[in-house]
Amino acid sequence: MDIFNSPWLINMLAKSSKTPQGRLLSLFDILDDWLKAPHIEKVSTLNAKENSLLIAFCTEQAKLLGAENPDILAEHIVLIAHNAAQQLIEQPGSNSLMHAKKVADALILVQTQKNGFISNLTESKPAIYSIAASLLLLVGTASLWLPSFMYSQTAHARMAQQHDPVETTIAAAYGQDKALTAIDASRMYAKYEQMRQGTCHFPEVLQIPDKHKSIYLENVVGGKLPANSADLAIANFYLEKVHCNFTPMLMTASK
Amino acid sequence: MSGLREKILNTASNLFQTQGINSTGVDTIVAVAGTTKMTLYKYFNSKEILILEVLKQGHQDFQTWLNDKLSANTKKPGEKLQKLFDYIEEWVTSPDFNGIGFIKASAEFPKENSLVHQLSAEQSDQFREYIRQLATEANIQDADGLSLQLSLLFKGAVQSEQLKRGSDAIKYAKKAAKILIDGALTH
Repeated sequence: MDIFNSPWLINMLAKSSKTPQGRLLSLFDILDDWLKAPHIEKVSTLNAKENSLLIAFCTEQAKLLGAENPDILAEHIVLIAHNAAQQLIEQPGSNSLMHAKKVADALILVQTQKNGFISNLTESKPAIYSIAASLLLLVGTASLWLPSFMYSQTAHARMAQQHDPVETTIAAAYGQDKALTAIDASRMYAKYEQMRQGTCHFPEVLQIPDKHKSIYLENVVGGKLPANSADLAIANFYLEKVHCNFTPMLMTASK
Repeated sequence: MSGLREKILNTASNLFQTQGINSTGVDTIVAVAGTTKMTLYKYFNSKEILILEVLKQGHQDFQTWLNDKLSANTKKPGEKLQKLFDYIEEWVTSPDFNGIGFIKASAEFPKENSLVHQLSAEQSDQFREYIRQLATEANIQDADGLSLQLSLLFKGAVQSEQLKRGSDAIKYAKKAAKILIDGALTH
């Protein structure tokens, strides 16, 4: 079968995921499975011509993602998949399609970063549950601490002092109001991923100024990338204030 | 190297890059080089040997250029890895860029038993090995994995640029490379 030009591949991709990013990345999993399957007739070379059906499908997914240049993203992903599949045929132990999948993921990130690309997070149900649990935990913890904070002038004074550095940082960033760089985005994703591994608390949540609350909820608790460098500075300030316990649940229960 | 041999080699290299290897006949090469078929076959026994020599020369020139650029402008291994795609972008976006020999040759000679295909695959492996060495010097744990990722990214972007000049594929590839390198450095 000429897999890169087959309607079967398009059908498999179409039903592989509920998100456009998932459907694009499934290309690598499907090819990997197909090339490793024992009943598949060994092919020495893949047809590099045309691929128009596949490119059209991938372009459509890239448009749904809001990619900056959907045509180039689709073409680049198909070329990478083709080269990696060819490499897997020639070097069966290379795991090339799984490495190619990481490359495609990075390209998608680059092309969608200006659009607030949250698809990485929304794709995973465990991530949604984890974020929801974190939110409930933060709100719950805050409500337990509320009475003491309401009557504590010293806490107010402390929070006021703590806001100084963030205001300074934000003031520096506000003037520029720049879009996030790829490095900023990758660092934020790493922080979100780390938070998901633990149980996180931020009892002072109710002391956050109103103007920062939406950023805190969206960009710290919600795991959505900040829209610009000013929001990034605010989100980073509060990320540092959140305390996380990374002891596994079962170990905690056994103590 | 004989002046005439060098002239035939350079002429063939330019014609292969601009018109394609299979589309360029020996007659065209000798006509443009201002020589005869007999002279061409004196230095290169066959068109296949001429293609192999062009590929070897082109790959050596590319590796030397890249190595000189990286060595002259960066000393730290980690920086060299980061700068790699900067220089590749600079080269790919230059007006004289006509594609990369081993990538074009691999597409024109897809059969594994072809000597041209074998040499282009070998040169592709050598380029990946070059990236792997840079990654190892930068203390990246999964140097093998990163070198495979970056070579796939590079090859795809160059193919995309070859299909459509000014496509910006290399610009996006450079940004994606930074994400992959940063990710590998933090592990």
